[in-house]
Amino acid sequence: MIRRRLGTRLGVGERRSAHVALALTAWLLALIFFFPVFWMVLSSFKEEQDANTSPKLFFSPTLDRYRDVTSNPEGTLAFGDAATNSAIVVLLSTLIVLALAIPAAYALAIRPVPKWRDVLFFFISTKFLPIVASILPIWVLANHFEKLNTLTVLVVLYTAINLPLAVWMLRSFFVEIPRELIEAADIDGAKLRGQLTSIILPIAAPGIAATALLCVIFAWNEYFYAVQLNPIEGSTVPMWVTTNISTRGDFLAKLSAASVLACIPVVLAGWLAQKRMIRGLSMGAIK
Amino acid sequence: MTSVTAARTSPADPFSRPWRRRLPLLPALLFAIVVTQVPFLLSVYYSFTEWSINPPTPRHFIGLDNYQTLVSDPFFREAAWTSVLMTVSTVLISLGLGTLLAVLLDRHFFGQGIVRTLLITPFLIMPVVAGLIWKNQMFSGLYGVLNWVLERLGFNSIEFVSQYPLASIVTVLVWQWTPFMMLIMLAGLQSQSTDVLEAAKVDGASVFGTFRQLTLPHLRRYMELCALLGTIYVVQVFDQVDVMTGGGPDSTNIPYFVYERSIGGGWDFGLASAYSIVVVLVSIVVATVALRVLSRLLTDEARA
Amino acid sequence: MQRPRLGVGRVAVAFLVAAALVAALAGTASSRPDAKTKTIRVAIVGNPQMEDIAKLTPSLFTRKTGIKVKYSILEEGKLREIVTRDVGAGGRQFDVVMIGPYEAPQFGSSGLLKNLTPYAKPDASYRYRDVLPAVRNALSAKGRMYASPFYAESSFVMYRKDVMRANRVIVPARPTWAQIAAIARKIDSDRMAGICLRGKPGWGDLGASFTTVLNTFGGTWWSAKSNGKPDKAQVDKPEFKQALEFYVDLVKDAGEKDAANASFNECLAQYRDGRVAMWYDATVAAGILEAKDSRVKGKNAYALAPIRKTKASGWLWTWALAIPRKAPDPATAWKYISWATGPSYIKAAGTRISGGWAAIPPGTRFSTYRIPQYKAAAKAFAARTLAAMKAAPINNPGTTKRPGLPGVQYVGIPEFQDVGNRCTEQFSSVIAGRTSIDSALRACQRIASLAIQ
Repeated sequence: MIRRRLGTRLGVGERRSAHVALALTAWLLALIFFFPVFWMVLSSFKEEQDANTSPKLFFSPTLDRYRDVTSNPEGTLAFGDAATNSAIVVLLSTLIVLALAIPAAYALAIRPVPKWRDVLFFFISTKFLPIVASILPIWVLANHFEKLNTLTVLVVLYTAINLPLAVWMLRSFFVEIPRELIEAADIDGAKLRGQLTSIILPIAAPGIAATALLCVIFAWNEYFYAVQLNPIEGSTVPMWVTTNISTRGDFLAKLSAASVLACIPVVLAGWLAQKRMIRGLSMGAIK
Repeated sequence: MTSVTAARTSPADPFSRPWRRRLPLLPALLFAIVVTQVPFLLSVYYSFTEWSINPPTPRHFIGLDNYQTLVSDPFFREAAWTSVLMTVSTVLISLGLGTLLAVLLDRHFFGQGIVRTLLITPFLIMPVVAGLIWKNQMFSGLYGVLNWVLERLGFNSIEFVSQYPLASIVTVLVWQWTPFMMLIMLAGLQSQSTDVLEAAKVDGASVFGTFRQLTLPHLRRYMELCALLGTIYVVQVFDQVDVMTGGGPDSTNIPYFVYERSIGGGWDFGLASAYSIVVVLVSIVVATVALRVLSRLLTDEARA
Repeated sequence: MQRPRLGVGRVAVAFLVAAALVAALAGTASSRPDAKTKTIRVAIVGNPQMEDIAKLTPSLFTRKTGIKVKYSILEEGKLREIVTRDVGAGGRQFDVVMIGPYEAPQFGSSGLLKNLTPYAKPDASYRYRDVLPAVRNALSAKGRMYASPFYAESSFVMYRKDVMRANRVIVPARPTWAQIAAIARKIDSDRMAGICLRGKPGWGDLGASFTTVLNTFGGTWWSAKSNGKPDKAQVDKPEFKQALEFYVDLVKDAGEKDAANASFNECLAQYRDGRVAMWYDATVAAGILEAKDSRVKGKNAYALAPIRKTKASGWLWTWALAIPRKAPDPATAWKYISWATGPSYIKAAGTRISGGWAAIPPGTRFSTYRIPQYKAAAKAFAARTLAAMKAAPINNPGTTKRPGLPGVQYVGIPEFQDVGNRCTEQFSSVIAGRTSIDSALRACQRIASLAIQ
């Protein structure tokens, strides 16, 4: 029997007024946090002169900034191309990260290898080298293998930079899975794949969703490697956004418009992911 | 319990238990080793060379000279201290806020989906854009929203970024990283077994009691995970420093400092590599202490 | 028993396959130009004039010559990082790169750029002699032109003539810094600051403004040996401190808000809003201030860069196009440069760009200043701009000999970029009041001395 929990997390014992107060607090904090983003969206509909002066809540809105940033003449980076490149790189690297990290987390949490502590430490140590330094050998290598200005180099790099995060996070979530369930599956004769699909993935779904979302966000917004390695072809959305920055003329409204467009895919990804992060089925049902 | 599974294999079998355990780990491990260690070893090599491209000089070996320069550089120490301040304050504040938000959000209430999405948005903005929006539209001494509010309330305007560069940068970083902490804490809260909570309710435990004695200890692991991951990322922050202050005695952190040595104008790749290797060594020491001595992340009992 | 999550697996596999296919396709679309249509790859900065030419390239250039141009528009800092690295490390990524008079002679002397003089002189449509000699020389070393100027600027003082009239103040056409400072302090008020000066860290930001002041105060960054190499750092000399004190005090007393973070854009916003009465910065600002939609259109007058001990002090900067030495097809690259920096583009642009005639790339050629429509549209500032460009003292900016290649607002040695960045960070902190001027000078002297060892 599957018990679905409805109502508040703290259920019966809680007073209605406390519930309302907490909900209002959540809303208030959300609006405060969101305010600068809201202001950015507002700026995207302004004339440059309005965006670079005293704060204006009321102004005559225009879509011109959106036209400005998307009218990329032939020969310059178009939003469509940049978004396609970004989508391919982000989706591929995230899928590869999950494909690598889920079994790795299994081998570090559920049936740990003897040196699991060292392995975890190694993974996190790969993130210690400052990006500004690692770009030099990476650029040299990419140049040597003629992979500059390709999507391949970004997919490989983004997988490498997201892998430690995914391994650590997934391991933390897998460790939570009750031992009884795993051993019950063992007794049933289930192999790794069966265990994964029937027990681990469903229970760790919120954690996997959170991990995937973070990988997507980090890869989508990654600017440094992308612009250093792919300034000509295979350019991604962050580079497209920053083409609007100028040192001789205001650009905040244009930048806001570009940023709004750039954020829409990740906002959608966030919305999808957080749907998975709602408490649902009770684990007791498995028994 | 385990005798059933133990009987299946024998040590002579090449697919015996140790290797069967290692197999799922190998793809990830091999990939990480190849893609990260080759650049790292190259960086180590560069750190022992003089390699400058303006004016272009062919790369040649100079031994420990770069490291000697590094040791006598007071600006490096200054940047290291700024990095420590920036990272610790950002991680602590955003962890606290993120936990608070996660607890508030781990409940069903009207519009919770919208609230969660609103709260993630700061994290979705490119760091360069976030830095520029905050600097020019929130913090600006003349045109900022914050000063607009201050002046309406009768206070004098404050030049936030000019007068408080580090605090301004930390504010933007906290704004962007709190959602990150919140996401992980939220996923952590949801992995808490509901059976235990239901049992506590049935036993008549209070809301706060349940939270303090059951939820918080469970969350401790996730808080440590957040602190670790957050530190790793915040220590590498570069964009906000670049666009908000352009560096300076109070805001240049290690990444910006190394950048200035290399493609930011110094064009001394050998020296920049040497600084970076030192950073890696120090990070290894700090991380070892933090993980093995202070935290419980690596001290879980291994499963059978 | 729960339903196994095979649905997710199936979707993931499908996606993986699809994405892999697309990626493979995209990855093989290599960046090598195919033989039939020539494509050249150009790296440019994202300023308005550059965006204009990117828009007009397909119709004005590709249609006539069949040569396609692929632009990489980069933010100025990133452009410098990528171009310097590419050119300096002998890269082949770009056919044409946009650089300034700081890099051009240095890279040229190091043999990293193609000498453009043999291409330029015989090219009738390029009109070699039409290029302003000061600008051309700034981009040359030993008589060889290494980059062709796309646009050029000097610096001058822009001020609100209506505000000056109301305060009964006259700004001389060739002012001294003492005069400007006195005027600024006199008209400074809460509502409207006296003057806007750059304060943002960076060798090209505060570094540019401040170095012109330093020059005319008789100071310099380094003394020069007879062979042109830098000798000793001069940051600890009294002239340097005098110049810095003057600059900092002027900004603190009569300057804009958030001065420590102000560069061109911040001052532009404040000036246009009527929050500052004077502004010392690049001559291209005039085009924006007199544009159709500018709130201060028609209210401005212009004076030459203020002096003290020298005859002139305005800076000289140009964004110019160069061909890296290893570029695969220099002849085609030159065809593009000849069009982009030639007089015909300037004439064609006037009627086609959104800013109109006042927004065409200024300061590079005599012929620009003879176009009647330009003279009409830029009446307020064209003559002053030309005068400023001609007067820019590129060979002898101060009172003493400088090391390195010529330059006004920078020192033509490779070390200046880094020293300028780090010293201006200190000076910016002084402007913000967070560092004392003496400790900043000490730190800078140390930085400047170590750099040239």
